[in-house]
Amino acid sequence: MQAQETVAQDARRRHMKLLVEHVSKSFDKKAVLKDVDFTFESGKIYGLLGRNGAGKTTLFNCINEDLPVSGGTFAIEEDGVRRAVRAADIGYVLSTPVVPEFLTGREFLKFFIDINKDRIKDGKTIDAYFDLVGIEPEDRDRLIKDYSHGMKNKMQMLVNFIADPGILLLDEPLTSFDVVVADEMKQLLRHRKDEHIIIFSTHIMELALDLCDEIVILNGGVLQAIDKADMDNAAFKDRIISALRGEGDA
Amino acid sequence: MLEAFAISFRLRNTYKTNGIIWSLKGIPLVKRLLPASLYASRGLKLFANILSGMWELCSVFLGKALYLLAIYTLAQGMRAASGDSYAHMLLFLTLIGGFLNTQIFDPTKDKFYAICIMRMDAKRYTLANYFYFLLKMLIGFLAFSLLFGSLAGASLVTCLAVPVYVVAVKILFTAKSLADCEKLDKTFNENKPTLMKYACAALFFLAAMAPPYLGYACSERVFWIVTAVLLVPAAFALRYILRFEAYRPIYKALLRPESILANYGGDSEGAAQQLAMQKRITADFTQTSNKSGYPYFNELFMKRHAKILTRAAKRIAFIAALFFAASAVALYMFPGARADVNMLLLTYLPYFLFVMYLINCGKTVTQAMFMNCDHSMLTYRFYRQPKAILALFVERLKYVIAINLLPAGVIALGLPLLLYASGGTAEPLNYVVLFVSIIAMSVFFSVHHMVMYYLLQPYNVNLESKSATYGIVNWITYIVCYSAIRFQLPTLLFGSAISAFCILYAIVAFILAYRLAPKTFKLRN
Repeated sequence: MQAQETVAQDARRRHMKLLVEHVSKSFDKKAVLKDVDFTFESGKIYGLLGRNGAGKTTLFNCINEDLPVSGGTFAIEEDGVRRAVRAADIGYVLSTPVVPEFLTGREFLKFFIDINKDRIKDGKTIDAYFDLVGIEPEDRDRLIKDYSHGMKNKMQMLVNFIADPGILLLDEPLTSFDVVVADEMKQLLRHRKDEHIIIFSTHIMELALDLCDEIVILNGGVLQAIDKADMDNAAFKDRIISALRGEGDA
Repeated sequence: MLEAFAISFRLRNTYKTNGIIWSLKGIPLVKRLLPASLYASRGLKLFANILSGMWELCSVFLGKALYLLAIYTLAQGMRAASGDSYAHMLLFLTLIGGFLNTQIFDPTKDKFYAICIMRMDAKRYTLANYFYFLLKMLIGFLAFSLLFGSLAGASLVTCLAVPVYVVAVKILFTAKSLADCEKLDKTFNENKPTLMKYACAALFFLAAMAPPYLGYACSERVFWIVTAVLLVPAAFALRYILRFEAYRPIYKALLRPESILANYGGDSEGAAQQLAMQKRITADFTQTSNKSGYPYFNELFMKRHAKILTRAAKRIAFIAALFFAASAVALYMFPGARADVNMLLLTYLPYFLFVMYLINCGKTVTQAMFMNCDHSMLTYRFYRQPKAILALFVERLKYVIAINLLPAGVIALGLPLLLYASGGTAEPLNYVVLFVSIIAMSVFFSVHHMVMYYLLQPYNVNLESKSATYGIVNWITYIVCYSAIRFQLPTLLFGSAISAFCILYAIVAFILAYRLAPKTFKLRN
């Protein structure tokens, strides 16, 4: 069933690239992003690592057009055809869950589906969506303000799954989940990666190594991929840490 | 203890100066003049330090000066001798201050920072600051008691006794509260007095005012004796305060972050506001909506906030209706009052600008919109699409105008009715103008609050206020409406002018919002 679905969606969505071209961003005189130049491709989960204050959230905010960039451009390439990024291309899951507190989980999904009905392909029933992320039937008709942190986070993740944007930005999304849910979420992300570009920012290296196909490091305002080559995990970790410290050529 | 005081003073001063610089940064034009390295700038620090020092000086003198000036002025109006009245009033009013202003039971941010965050020794911190507080009392009261006391005709002994009496009363009440805390194993927040304390305050206030007004005041001699007698128990009370050990548990209970941050400004103010606002959501699931999309979303929002929106509007409408009915009956029974009321209705319409400002729920509703809805929804791209913003803006505006029209409608009908009941007017247009102008004002405030919110929403995703403009606009709105109270203008003139203005403003503001909101309605960075 899962495999059939994946095949169907593959046919629907073509190979996609997110081109980040010489993007820079400064606040007052402080340059947070200096020259970010990178191409993300669908079919991969990218682990975005960076030290505190390195600018990971700033980069996400720029990609999501929450912040205007100081220089550079973003573009999308689909099967070799270049076009501008559209709002519908990007989903962004924030580290602190943001969901409307005055609605019940069901009402929020109903509203979300109503609003985005043109974009949602192969829609499911609301309960099927709840099942997808494991929100129990007794919780579905409660006000979101009484949800736990983890459940709010699930809701946020869920609406991004429903809208199904080609690019999914995840800012430290799994830290509030318990280990079981975190594992379920990882499975969900892995299933979705074939037709999506998933960029996953985290501080937890084990999580990045476990889930991500490629590690990219944001350091000194520049983004660089760390090639695992034929290293074992321990050696790879050392390499990542030295890159995060800004030591030598990583 | 001096060292503890010096540390806590420096700490308080640092956050006060940083607070001043932070506020400066929020003012539209000023912020461009400020250097990037704000908090390290010596000139700016110095400026903020001067402001903070001036504030500290004010805290010693200004309040006490105003307080004693008021008592001096009141003493002049009493039938009892002015000097005696002065002493009498202070005798009782000081008792109110004794339990409503103890310093120790005031949960302030500086205590929270020092005791809970910096983990300073609670006892040393408390005592050092308590003595500083008493010293400020002593100096401030001495200076102005000498001035206003002698102006009131009180003797030098009375003037000198006042600061001593004030300090003695403070010490006694503080020791009593500390003892109660220990005995009852609970703490008090002096900013949230119990009903009992309110009743006592009212009683003491009555005792301070009524007798001198009627010509009976305790003589100054009584004041001296009471002061002298209090010195002995005050000395014991002071010893109790000094030996008291359980300051930390008291502050642990008193200084919970949510109670601190809810009362005071600063960067977490928004979070505390949000928490308070979320408590006002009513979880009544019989309230559903048959609509879909944004109208569905908006209807549920309004219904879940009925407590602060529709219910409040209904209550105001009901009270207004009651008021007009009672007034009509009163006019019928007391024909003598008709001419005065008639005159009021034909010249005091500007007053209603302030009334309409006060009863408009626009500000509350936009606050609820942000805290309980837009703060989260604005992080979604689909919600920020121009089409979505405008659809919801129009939907919301319709609701807000409608909710406010209920009480406004009652007032708009009540005023012409009252005009008729008070003898009417030769110019029938007055009836129409009264009705139209009240409705126009109501629509004006609804549009104004919504448009300002859509154009100037000041918070970022962490609920930190990033712009002072919104606050300044709200403040100016208040000042303008408040100052309208003082104007007396012919109703026909003012009513027509204000109606025209309101309608014009509403149209322009709506167009402005329609043009600009897609760009301005967002979370600040």
